[in-house]
Parts: sequence; structure tokens; C-alpha cells
Amino acid sequence: MRVAVDGIDVEVADGATVLDAAGAAGRWVPTLCFDERQAPFGACRACLVGVEGSAAPLPACTTPCRDGMAVATEDPAARRVATAVVELVLSELPEPPASHTELAQVADRLGVGEPRWPGEVHPKVEADTRHPYLAFRHELCISCGRCVRACDELQGTFALTATGRGFGANVAAGLDEGFRASACVSCGACADTCPTDAITEVSLLP
Amino acid sequence: MSRNLVELVRRHHALDAPTALDVLKQAVELRGELTDADRREAAARSGLPEATVHGVSTFYDDLLQPRGARHVRVCTGTACFAATGDAHVDALRSAFGIELGERSEDGSVSLAETVCLGFCHSSPAVRDGDTIDAGPDVVARVLAGTCVAAPEPAWESTLAEPVLTRPGDWSGLARVLDEGVAPEALLEEVTAAEIRGRGGAGFPAGVKWGFARASEGDEKFIVANGDEGDPGSYIDKYLMERTPERLLEGMALAAYAVGASHGFVLVRSEYPLSKPALEQAASAARSDGWLGEDIHGSGFAFDVTVVEGAGSYVVGEETALLACLQGLRGTVSARPPFPAQSGLHGMPTVVNNVETLCNVPFVAARGADAYRALSPGAATSGSKLVCFNERFARPGVYEVSFGVSTRWLCEELAGGLREGRTIKALQIGGPLGGILPAARLDTPFDFDALAAEGCMLGHGGILAFDDRTSMRDVARHLLRFGAHESCGKCFPCRIGLQRAQAMFTGDAPVERERLEQLLETLELGSLCAHGGGMPAPIRSLLKWFPDELGLA
Repeated sequence: MRVAVDGIDVEVADGATVLDAAGAAGRWVPTLCFDERQAPFGACRACLVGVEGSAAPLPACTTPCRDGMAVATEDPAARRVATAVVELVLSELPEPPASHTELAQVADRLGVGEPRWPGEVHPKVEADTRHPYLAFRHELCISCGRCVRACDELQGTFALTATGRGFGANVAAGLDEGFRASACVSCGACADTCPTDAITEVSLLP
Repeated sequence: MSRNLVELVRRHHALDAPTALDVLKQAVELRGELTDADRREAAARSGLPEATVHGVSTFYDDLLQPRGARHVRVCTGTACFAATGDAHVDALRSAFGIELGERSEDGSVSLAETVCLGFCHSSPAVRDGDTIDAGPDVVARVLAGTCVAAPEPAWESTLAEPVLTRPGDWSGLARVLDEGVAPEALLEEVTAAEIRGRGGAGFPAGVKWGFARASEGDEKFIVANGDEGDPGSYIDKYLMERTPERLLEGMALAAYAVGASHGFVLVRSEYPLSKPALEQAASAARSDGWLGEDIHGSGFAFDVTVVEGAGSYVVGEETALLACLQGLRGTVSARPPFPAQSGLHGMPTVVNNVETLCNVPFVAARGADAYRALSPGAATSGSKLVCFNERFARPGVYEVSFGVSTRWLCEELAGGLREGRTIKALQIGGPLGGILPAARLDTPFDFDALAAEGCMLGHGGILAFDDRTSMRDVARHLLRFGAHESCGKCFPCRIGLQRAQAMFTGDAPVERERLEQLLETLELGSLCAHGGGMPAPIRSLLKWFPDELGLA
């Protein structure tokens, strides 16, 4: 089927999402919870776009394409909300994300400024460094679910879970006992996909 | 929802194993709190990974608040707030010397927060052990250890011939089976009746059934959503407790129409009397041949399992409800796929609200035309149950026609407010709907007319705030609820509601422009109606009561 993204016509397969179509058209859509190796999740809402005929913006990652659909990646309302969402995410971290992280890069590209809604940040807890190859800094977690899904969908190990709810949401390994005591097989898929450095790879060797 | 976890649950369900949530709930009831040994046992018995079970154990209110020898649950719902301004909560905290969610050091008593026990007709309400007591003197009785079961509300119909307040009699299913009505014909009748969903969204039940019928699946399920979490609403509670056989009949008819053979009712744990009432009715129905194999010799087979939730408002959303039913974290999933395509155990599933299903037997017995005639001249067909909070002179559950004026409901049917108080504003249909000021009481009580006022018919709960209520306190109360109940999946709701709540905490002025930008982010960005709907009452307050909000 044919979809127009910002006026660029692209041919996409049945079952393609709006995010797939934007990719085919070479148009950038901000994402935080998306990883092309995983099933779309629809949590971060940074990928909102305008779709002709829809009164409100729609998330590109979970919206299926329809033939003849017209998509505007820079729809003003969509971009306003996406920017606000990334601003909210930055405001929950106790420190700005490192510049190499996906979160920092998305925030930079969207031009996110001073937080309009500052407030409580995730409490700093002692970094979990008991595992030889993986380190956990819970206060940098933005609950995007990518590590949990990597462990589930890519590795089939199910060593990670989302925890808590609302603002208290986070992730944990096993029964919150750290990577080392959990079912973790040290594949590193979680660290590879993490957009904030909440989970990172470390080395035993100097 | 993780497809792998759903498949793991499905395989264990086939073995009739308990869900992880069932095992965790039992452990809390037995020992007052969860240990890692309990989590490991729940993982072993449910077939789920340990980490997954840990995630479940950190999600539900019932699993998180420790229990002492005596467990006192205080209702912090909106009707109780409207009655006391939370004075009942403060009185108990101070008398027991512990905060909500705490247990005394000697383990003798624990105080837990529960959001709406469904005794809004007699607020404030407290559950002491297994006894739910309610009324102005409830705190004194809790402290004296003399709690008694709270009085039941009025349960009346204003229709010439009651439909929903009458006990069920299986006449709809009897007609369908006796006359050999084909499933397609029943589906057509229900579609023609235009039964709009009574749980909030108002989606036509027949259309939903049509999707499920058209979907391919090894098996199909009917799920009754008995998670009536809207504070101030106690309609489904009494449908489940007083006319449970009508709900079961509605589920059986839905199953017949879409080709399902099993159904589940998810009942919220705040209603401890609902599950036993439904199970008793199901048992009677099995004895009478209305549930089970080969129902009344027709070859049609259907049975129902009743499952209890564990304390989460968002579980009332259909994808979260299905997650809870499978014993997983009650978080929302993006749609598509819709439950009608891929629901419980990944199979086509109809999820209907309790009251919606209770409408079906009448349509099956009497037809779509008779059903539409229940609300003559109104935009919506059928009848509606409404309920009123304790502020009214005659609170209770009443069956009414759609399209009557909200003023008539409040002033005539419910008798106006008690103690000479006057209505300042109403919250209709729960916390995700707007607030109707007294000046707009002439609004017709129907889906579209209320929507035009920024309000929502929702479940049909009508909750009055009287002339003494501070609307800034209302905003604070609602946003605290919203932030507490956010499932934490989508970013706007997870962070945005916490920020909105913080803006109203304390006495600092609220910057209107910043607030409105945040509300827009919630409205347009949220994954489900929780984050999307929580701004509605705040928008109403900004429109009608800006001077009371402490705006800057």
C-alpha cells in the first residue's frame, strides 16, 4: 500500500506501522521505547505524529498504515506533546543523561529546554555492581521497558521485570536481587538497548 | 503484553494451575506480607519466571500494604472525601498512630488505603477485617471495636416495568434456545438494539461482539468487567450481588452469539461480597442446567469462572483487565490488537462491562424494539442505573430512562442534598469525566449531552460536592488519586500526573499556563483513558471555579 509521509510517497507492506513508513520515507520520528528488534510497545509517546483524518496525534510505532494515509511527522500538536514528554522524562532524572545516550540525543534534536514541570526525581540507590559484566543504576531508569523486552523477546531469559507503578515504576533483575543472583545469562542485550545508561556493560579487566 | 508470558500462562491455565496473582494474594492473606519464598512459590506454581512474579508483587495495592492481626482499610474514595474532607482518614491515622500503608510495631493493627468500597450512599466507609461499616459514626465504632455491616442502599426502578433491578430469570436464553434462534440472529438483534457500553466508553456491544465472532481462534472468551473502580459508583456492585444470575445470563448470551464456551468475571477485591454472590448464582445455574455442558439439551456449552482482582483502578481498562486475569501486572497495552482479535490467552475475547451484559437478557427475551422503547425519544436506547452519594437526601441505585434532566435526578429522585446543603457541583461517571457546576443541572442525562459539557456518563455515578467544598481540595484529591493509580506504562501519565499532583500540593499558586500545557500533554499523549481523562475534571474546575484554585 502507499502512504505519504510529509508529502513523500512510499510503498509499505501490509502490517507496516506509521513508524516503518516514516523510516522508508527517510523522515525522523523521535522514539525512546522503540527498538526495531522488539515488538512495538507504545509507552514513551515521543513518536506522536499527525495523521490526516485523525483529530488527535497518533503514536507512529503502534499505528498500522492504511492505504492512502497521509502522515505529518512535524505536526505542531504532535511535536509539542512529544517535546513535553521528553522534557518530563529529563525532569525525573537526578542528573542529565550522558551525551552519548539515546535520551540525550533525542532531547537535543527536539530542542528540549528548561523543564517546565520540575519536581521529585528518582532516588539514588547504590549502583548494583555485583555482576562481573553488567551494572545497574536504577535512578537513571525511565521505564521504557526495552531491557525487559530484550530479555524476554530476544534472549528468552526473563531475568528482568518492570516493578512498581506510576512514578515509582522501575525495573529489577530476578527478585530485585541484582543481575548476578538472577537468571541472567550475561548476554548484554539489556545494556545494548538501554537509552539512558541505567544498565551498562562493564569489564572485569582494566 | 508480552506474547511469551501470555503463552506461558495459557499453557499453565490448561493445567488448571492458579495464576501467580492468586498465589500471591493467598500468601498475603495468610501471613500479612510477601516474602521472597512466596514469590518463588508463586513462580513455581504458575509457571512464570521469578522476575515476572516479582513485578506482579510490586504492582497491586492489596499485595503492598502489610497486614497486622487487625487490618483496617479506610476508604479514600471521592464520596468519602465529599462527606468528610478526609477527616475520617486523619482521625484513624492519629488514633492508631500509624500512617496509611503501615502496620504497628507490635503487629496488632495495620491501616491501609482502599479506593472506594462502594458504600458511597453511606460515607465514610471503613473495612475492619471482614466487616464493612459506614456512616457518620464509623470512626467511633472502629475505635471501639464495634463495627457492624453497613446498611444496604435503595435499589429501585423508575420505569413502569423494571428491567435491571429485577432478579434475572433466564428467559432471554430460554427463548433463544427454545426457538432455535441462530447465533447470527441474536448478534443482529443485539446490534439493532444499540446497547452502548456502560463502563465509560459507550462503544456498541453488538459491534464488539461482531468483531469477536469474525476473529479466528481455537477458543473464544467472554469477560465481564466487574472492576467498577470509579470512586462514587456502586452500580455494578449491586448488579453482581443482587441480580448475579442476570449477569451470568448476559454472558451466556454473548457466548452463544460469538461462539465462546467459557467466561470470566473479574470482580474487584474492594467488593468482598460480590464474588461469593456470583459463585452461588453460578452454582445454582449449573444445578438448573443454565450453565455447563449441553445447556437445556441445546448442545450449547458455557461456564463461568469468577476471579478477584487485587487493588488497581487501571485494571478497569480492558487490556489491563486481561493482564490481571492472567495473573500479570495490570498495565495497559497499546491497541491494536484489540481483545476481540487477541485477548485472554491470546484468543478472541469480548470484554463487556457488567451493566452492559445485564442489558442483554432483556434484548434476547423482548427484542430490540422493546429495548429502544425503554428510553422514549432519547438518543440512547435501553435504561440506565444511576447512583448517588451520601450528600443526597435519598442516596441509592435507581433505574432511569436516558435523556431525563440531571436536575430531576438530583432534586426529585434523590431528594436534593441533606441537612439543607446545596449542590455546588457534580462529578458524574467517575474521575475521568468533567465536573458539572450547579448552574448546568438542566443538562440531559445522556452520553452526548454530557459530553458537550465536558462531562461523561461513565458508570452513572452522580456525586455531589456541597456548598462547603473547596474546589482546590477537589483538584488535589483527584490528582492524588490519578497519580497513585497510574499503571506507570506510558510516560505522560506516569510522570505527568505526579507533576500535576505536585502543583496542587501545599498552598503555592498554580501557574495556569504551565498547568494547561501539562493537561494537553496528558490528554493527547496518554496511552489510555486514565492519563487521557484525568485532565477533564481539572479543565472543568479551571472553567467554572478558577477563583478557587489559587491560580497565578
